[in-house]
Amino acid sequence: MHKDGNAIAGMLMEIFEVEMTTERRTCQSCGQANEIGAHLLYAGAGYVLRCPNCGDMAAAIATVPDAPRITMFGSWSVEPPAR
Amino acid sequence: MPPISRGFQGRRQTEVDPSRLPPGQYPTKDFPVLSAGPTPHTPLDEWSFSVAGAVGEAKSWTWEEFMDLPNELVTVDIHCVTKWSKFDTGWRGVPVERLLEGTEPWGTFVVAWCDGGYTTNLPLADVTDGKAWVAFEYEGEPLDPEHGGPARLLVPHLYFWKSAKWIRGINLADHDEPGFWEGYGYHNYGDPWKEQRYWND
Amino acid sequence: MEGAEVLERLNWRVVTIKESKSETPHAKTLVLDVPEWPGHKAGQHVDVRLTADDGYQAERSYSIASSPQAPDLELTVERLDDGEVSPYLTDEAREGDQFELRGPVGGYFVWEADSSRPLLLIAGGSGLVPLMSILRHHQETGSQADVRLLLSARTLEDVLYRAELEALRDKLAIRLTLTREAPPPEWNGFARRIDRAMLEAVGPGPESHPRVYVCGPTPFVEQAAELLVGIGYEPRTVHTERFGGA
Repeated sequence: MHKDGNAIAGMLMEIFEVEMTTERRTCQSCGQANEIGAHLLYAGAGYVLRCPNCGDMAAAIATVPDAPRITMFGSWSVEPPAR
Repeated sequence: MPPISRGFQGRRQTEVDPSRLPPGQYPTKDFPVLSAGPTPHTPLDEWSFSVAGAVGEAKSWTWEEFMDLPNELVTVDIHCVTKWSKFDTGWRGVPVERLLEGTEPWGTFVVAWCDGGYTTNLPLADVTDGKAWVAFEYEGEPLDPEHGGPARLLVPHLYFWKSAKWIRGINLADHDEPGFWEGYGYHNYGDPWKEQRYWND
Repeated sequence: MEGAEVLERLNWRVVTIKESKSETPHAKTLVLDVPEWPGHKAGQHVDVRLTADDGYQAERSYSIASSPQAPDLELTVERLDDGEVSPYLTDEAREGDQFELRGPVGGYFVWEADSSRPLLLIAGGSGLVPLMSILRHHQETGSQADVRLLLSARTLEDVLYRAELEALRDKLAIRLTLTREAPPPEWNGFARRIDRAMLEAVGPGPESHPRVYVCGPTPFVEQAAELLVGIGYEPRTVHTERFGGA
């Protein structure tokens, strides 16, 4: 059973300091681009995000308190906040 | 210190012997389902378990052959890195040393590999000497797929991410190779009594 | 988005309950006093963190029920019998109690009033909460976008915001289906689990290119999303928010 990437919007914002759920990732396996919020969220020891089209890994997050660490796959495009 | 939410206790089991609870853990009566990916459903007639890699002789068993191996009932406490601990869980499984018999392992590290692609690494010494089983029953019933059925690794002395669900084999090696969570920021060894949760612990 | 604004949303802030309102026998709306609340968009959620006196912490996410225009931030919490946080918030927490809150977050599940595309909202049980924020926002901004809500609940007693929905029923396409009893005739509702025929009857159809938002328990959302895609709605226009499960 999984949830949606949107469910960890808070943690992703803690890591990137930007709202990530509306940013897009192009999958390294199937080539489809989807919003991070639309990715499948699995909760194990840490979190895993998977491509909603093919299920391949998009990210793994180690939920270290106050210092979560993310490993990312595919092409993530992120718009930096306006300064 | 964050503000206390008056009257909040959570749903924790309160009568527990504190010497059984590793640091930072909280006891639970539930059995949460955690997973890095979708539940695989390998039919038993396609299932096999293998011991391979740095061994003199590789071995493998079909499900029927695996069921013919001597197995045992064990009751153990389990500790998840997400902070819950569950006491007195009952399992039936084949001791890992039984599976290594006759294989002449010369490697001292093990990688457990699983349906769905999950892996975890352990020193060989941590899966022998009565420390680990390949378990196929939980509380007297066949192990539910959600909880790793048909068979999972059971290594209660380490954080439960090492008790790999949907295990299909162990590969021995002469060097340590981080598994799934170990490669993404979790501790390489994972001793709950030393609170070895993350890479920097 | 300004750098400082982002940092505000990142930090845990202490909030105080101003009022706890009963919505149904199993759900309460908490009206919160949030210092320097930056505002939110309809559909977003917050992360809530409770700390017990021994330091034990539990964290959950709750959708914002109030519209962006509302004077106070409101969360609606449905009591899960085997829940850890929801029974505290519905049964124990009272005016003056405090907890920590982070957000708002969750831009993916947002509807903005400048969207003129038709809007289809599908709610299962407490999945109605973020969709109500969207519906309230739609109404308060005078949006002319065609909006339709299909709510699935067990019984009439379980319907959140019932009086408000009854009041809107005459001007908007608000459809109800109950799974354990039949709705009263004035609802012109259904008495079964959602299925393809129901979604075809209720929705504007894929050719109108609506934005679709589905929220509720995971099995409900999966079934609804699968049915919608089967009808022909473009998967990328179907935004899902699954509740429950870990």
